[in-house]
Amino acid sequence: MSLSNRDPLVVGRVVGDVLECFTRSIDLRVTYGQREVTNGLDLRPSQVANKPRVEIGGEDLRNFYTLVMVDPDVPSPSNPHLREYLHWLVTDIPATTGTNFGNEIVTYESPRPNSGIHRIVLVLFRQLGRQTVYEPGWRQQFNTREFASLYNLGLPVAAVFYNCQRESGCGGRRS
Amino acid sequence: MLFSAKHQRNNRVSATNKNKTLNKVSSISSAPPLSQDSQKRSLVTMEDVWEDINLGSIQSQHPQGNHEPRFSSHNHQSQNPNSIFQDFLNRPLNQEPTIPTIGSSSNGDTTTVTALFSSSPLPPPATVLSLNSGAGFEFLDNQDPLVTLNPNLHSHHQLNTPFEALVTTTCFGKKRGRESNEEGSGNRRNKRMIKNRESAARSRARKQECASPPLLTFFLKNGFCQQKAYDLIKGFMGFDSHLQAYTNELELEVAHLQAENARLKRQQDQLKMEAANQQPKKNTLQRSSTAPF
Repeated sequence: MSLSNRDPLVVGRVVGDVLECFTRSIDLRVTYGQREVTNGLDLRPSQVANKPRVEIGGEDLRNFYTLVMVDPDVPSPSNPHLREYLHWLVTDIPATTGTNFGNEIVTYESPRPNSGIHRIVLVLFRQLGRQTVYEPGWRQQFNTREFASLYNLGLPVAAVFYNCQRESGCGGRRS
Repeated sequence: MLFSAKHQRNNRVSATNKNKTLNKVSSISSAPPLSQDSQKRSLVTMEDVWEDINLGSIQSQHPQGNHEPRFSSHNHQSQNPNSIFQDFLNRPLNQEPTIPTIGSSSNGDTTTVTALFSSSPLPPPATVLSLNSGAGFEFLDNQDPLVTLNPNLHSHHQLNTPFEALVTTTCFGKKRGRESNEEGSGNRRNKRMIKNRESAARSRARKQECASPPLLTFFLKNGFCQQKAYDLIKGFMGFDSHLQAYTNELELEVAHLQAENARLKRQQDQLKMEAANQQPKKNTLQRSSTAPF
C-alpha cells in the first residue's frame, strides 16, 4: 500500500524533491519538547533548537535503522540551489529504540532558515546490518537518494516533515 | 463518507474532460443523481452549499483571465477573504468541481453563493489538478496561457511597478545588459509571475489540513477571520483524529476480548467433558479379600 496522492508527504512534495515513493512500514515518532511532529507542522527555530526525541517502531532489536534529517529548501524555497542541507545523521539505531541508542555520525544542527518557509524532513531507512557510514565532507548539497543507494539502504521505511521559518516570519502571508 | 464519495465520482468524470465546455455538462449530467436530487430539495444542507460553491466556480470559469485575480488575491488577502476559501476548495478536494445542474441551480440560497464566487472566479482546473499530479508547471510551460494572460495582467502589473522597477534596475539591468525596456519588462513580468505561481503552489502544499469545507464556510460567514477559522478547524480536526484513534483502539480491544471469551468458553466446555468422562472411572479401587485370614 504505497502513499496515496493525498498523503501529506506527497502533497508537500517531499516525495519527489527528496524521496522516492515508498510504503510506510515502521513507526516514527519525533518529538520536540512536548510537541509531536506531524507532517506540515509549523515550528520556529526556537522550538527546534535542541535535538528531538526520536522513537522508532519495528519488532526485532537486531534490525538497525538510519535516520537522516535534511532541509531541501536551502537557501530559499524559491531558489534551492544548495539542496539538501544535512542537519542530522544517526545510524545503527536498533528497532523499538531511539536515536539515543544509535551512532550520531553528523551532529544535530538546529534549522535556522533565513529566507522563506523551509521543509525539514526526517527519513528513516533500514540497514542491512550494522555498517560503517562515513560522514560526508559537508552538509550542503547532500542527496538523500544517493546516500541511500551508496549504503544500500533501499527505500525509506518512514518519513515525516515539518515547516520551519524565521522566528519573526509572517507565516507566508505578505503584509 | 457520502460526501467524499460524491466528489470522488465527480473527480473521475471531470478528469476525463479537460475542456471546460458543454462536454462536461453532458457527461456529468449522467453522473450520480444524488447531486441533482439535492438541488431539488428545498432545504439546502451545508453539503449542497459546498457543491454549489464548486459549480459556481466552474460556471464562471474561463481558461484565461483567471490567474490575475488569483494572484491579486494572494498578494492582498485582506481584500478578498474568499481567496483563502478558494485555496481550501482547491486543496482538500483537489479535483475539478462538479457542474451537474448549472441551469437548474436557481434556489434562493444557492444563487447568493454562486454570485459570491462569480465575482472572484477560481483558476482553471489545470491548476487544481497540478497539485496532485506534480505536473503543475506544465501549465506554466505552455506559452499560450501566458500570452493570453498578459493583457489581464496590466492592472496587476501596476501594483508591482515600484517593486519591479527596483528589481529590474538593480539586478536585471546590470546583469543582463541593456535590453529594450519592452521586451525585458515582459520577460521579467513573466518570470515574476512564474515565481509567484511556484510560491503559491508551495504554500498550497504547506496547507496540509483538509479542513471540512462546510465548517469553514460557517466560520467565515459568521465573521471569523480566516486565520481564526483555520485555527479552530485545526482544533476540531485534532479532536476528530483523537476520537477516531480512541474508537479504533476500543474496537480492537473489543474484538480481542471477544476472541478470548470464546476461547475460554471452549476451554471450559472441554474441561467439563473431560471431568464427566473421568467420573465413572472413580472408585475402581475396591477392597477385596486376598488373604486367607
